[in-house]
Amino acid sequence: MTKTMVLAGMMVVLAGASAFGADPPRSISLGASLQLTGQDANTGRYYRDAYNIAIDQINQAGGVKIAGKSIPIALKLLDNQSDTNLSVRQYVQLVTDDKVDFLLGPYASGATLPTSSIAEKYEIPMVEGGGASPQIFSRGYKFIFGTLPPADDYFASIIAMLGQLQPKAKTAALVAADDAFDVSVAKGTRKLLAEAGIEIVVDQTYAAKTTDFSSIMAQIKAKAPDIVLWGGLEPEVLNAIRQAKGLDTGAKLMMSFTVGVPTADFRQALGKDAEDAFGMTAWLPSPTLKDDWFGDAAQFAAAWKAKFGYDPDYHAAAGVAAVEALVKGIESADTLDRAKVRDAIAKSDFASLYARVRFNEGGQIVVPQIVIQIQNGEVTPIYTDHFITKPIFPVPPWGQRG
Amino acid sequence: MKWRWLALAPVLAVLAGVPWLGDAVLIQFGINALLIATLAQSWNILGGFTGYVSFGNSAFYGLGAYGTAIAMAQWHQPFWLGLALGAVLAVVVAAVLGGPILRLRGPYFAIVTLGISAALSALFANLDIAGKNIGLILPLTRDDAMFYELSLGLLAAATVAVAWIARSRFGIALIAIRENEDAAAAVGVDATRYKLAALILAAVFTALAGGIHAYWITFIDPAGSFDTTLDVRMVIMTMFGGPGTVFGPVIGAFVLSAIYEVLANGISTAAALFFGLVILLAVIFLPKGLIDLGGGFRALGWRYFLANIERHRL
Repeated sequence: MTKTMVLAGMMVVLAGASAFGADPPRSISLGASLQLTGQDANTGRYYRDAYNIAIDQINQAGGVKIAGKSIPIALKLLDNQSDTNLSVRQYVQLVTDDKVDFLLGPYASGATLPTSSIAEKYEIPMVEGGGASPQIFSRGYKFIFGTLPPADDYFASIIAMLGQLQPKAKTAALVAADDAFDVSVAKGTRKLLAEAGIEIVVDQTYAAKTTDFSSIMAQIKAKAPDIVLWGGLEPEVLNAIRQAKGLDTGAKLMMSFTVGVPTADFRQALGKDAEDAFGMTAWLPSPTLKDDWFGDAAQFAAAWKAKFGYDPDYHAAAGVAAVEALVKGIESADTLDRAKVRDAIAKSDFASLYARVRFNEGGQIVVPQIVIQIQNGEVTPIYTDHFITKPIFPVPPWGQRG
Repeated sequence: MKWRWLALAPVLAVLAGVPWLGDAVLIQFGINALLIATLAQSWNILGGFTGYVSFGNSAFYGLGAYGTAIAMAQWHQPFWLGLALGAVLAVVVAAVLGGPILRLRGPYFAIVTLGISAALSALFANLDIAGKNIGLILPLTRDDAMFYELSLGLLAAATVAVAWIARSRFGIALIAIRENEDAAAAVGVDATRYKLAALILAAVFTALAGGIHAYWITFIDPAGSFDTTLDVRMVIMTMFGGPGTVFGPVIGAFVLSAIYEVLANGISTAAALFFGLVILLAVIFLPKGLIDLGGGFRALGWRYFLANIERHRL
């Protein structure tokens, strides 16, 4: 029994000691623990590819310029198997064993919340493009920065746009799923609607993965609101639109959804009923988004497609922007001193293929969502802080669209 | 027997010294391994001794985590008060639910326990005070050595409790229930009461582990707290080490945690596959757990493994 105990003890020591003692290379090292396998691997790959393509591009352009010298970047990626506890350990390992200079984030808020605590514990700047929860940035942490816009503000651009359109929207229905993200969206949207002077006449939360929305539709039909704002996952949004049409209900002026509208699936699944739906995206690969390393967002999207064989989405762009924010921060601090780089990142203000990168007090990016609308089967950008295209507004009744 | 306990002292001393001897990664690994070992050891109290296979112990883990998080994040109380609140919550739930569910046997009991964790998860996802689906954020503490020593202390306490059970009248009653519940009842063992006591004891240790983990990881939500994969791990680790023994679950948890860590970092993609293979081989060659290997191997040598296969007619 004692022998087995000792054996177990040795295994424990081995587990910690084996594996991870690579010498630090003569370069700037960035570390990240990503979901490369397991349930979140499908989106995790965007970040692996984003970090790699960004670092390759920056190294090809000479690397990071510090004190007149160009230093290449090395990336240390670990696979956390979609296991949050393992991810926390891997960040500690990156910091203490691999001695990386700076950290890049994992995917999604659930993994970012605890791992950013490691960055804060060791006072190492972490820039992440995978977690949008405002909780990440509400803890008074100094060393965490995020390039996804806050969930609270998802409908901000839409509500700002409505303020400039005739006829004015006066009443709204707010419907949201009860998952963490959409609860945050609904909370923020209530505040935004109140500020815009739009009365909420229907305020409903439904259980995530609901398929039958008839009672919600009945309420919308009874109250006949000017606008419907809907936060949920794509299958829920598809069902909601089908059922709204079936019951011939909806908003008098327009309906908008947090997800779905930018995707090709959405248009294919709904056909003509997808027409005129409003939605939002944090990013479109537009040539107007200039970038120091990739030229512009359109060139970036082409380079990405050529390299990886699939189209980039906002995850990809946010991941690249995270790397760029770190590099810009190092260059403007002109040192690898972590506290100074942290201060430089906090003052970031540069144009990138993703958006203009600026962070608020808490460290989250300040970027307006782009309002989009399906017009003639195409995703059409409508509004950010100014109109890009003329919207179809008010939206015609079901059956007369497209 | 005495000398074995003495031999444990240096092992415990080495384990306690890890925060000063080992590096930060080892401490992180240690905290996780100690906590999961505590879960396995707690599971062992009911599952190992009475043979009641529970897949719902993560309910107590979640209650411990939420007790701590609510006390600290919402009421701004100290950590130890949160731990106590979590433990009380777990005891109350165990006492209330234990009565009815412990009357079920075999697969019926297992199925019912599966539902408890899911039901509590749904409940906490709708409680304002628990932060609903968004979860709760706990204050950040840099003192990993404290978390490590707390986890070690908790595991030691759970192991002492199991050691006491193994030689007490209480433990004998539990084993009697496992071997033949009707016969045990016939000789005057109040089965339901004994099982309930075992469940409550398991709930306390499990809840304390949940509370420590919550404070250490700084963030909890319903999915991560009432995590059904934890239930599976508790069972596998206990079975791997040796159910119904004093040190089996601890050894099982340490060894499997170490194997998982090496596989996850070494061959990330196929790690789950190899981890499954390890468990499969263990079930075939070591059905009584690692703890049985010591005596069995000394007696039979390599034939021990073949004897296991023959004995269980695989």
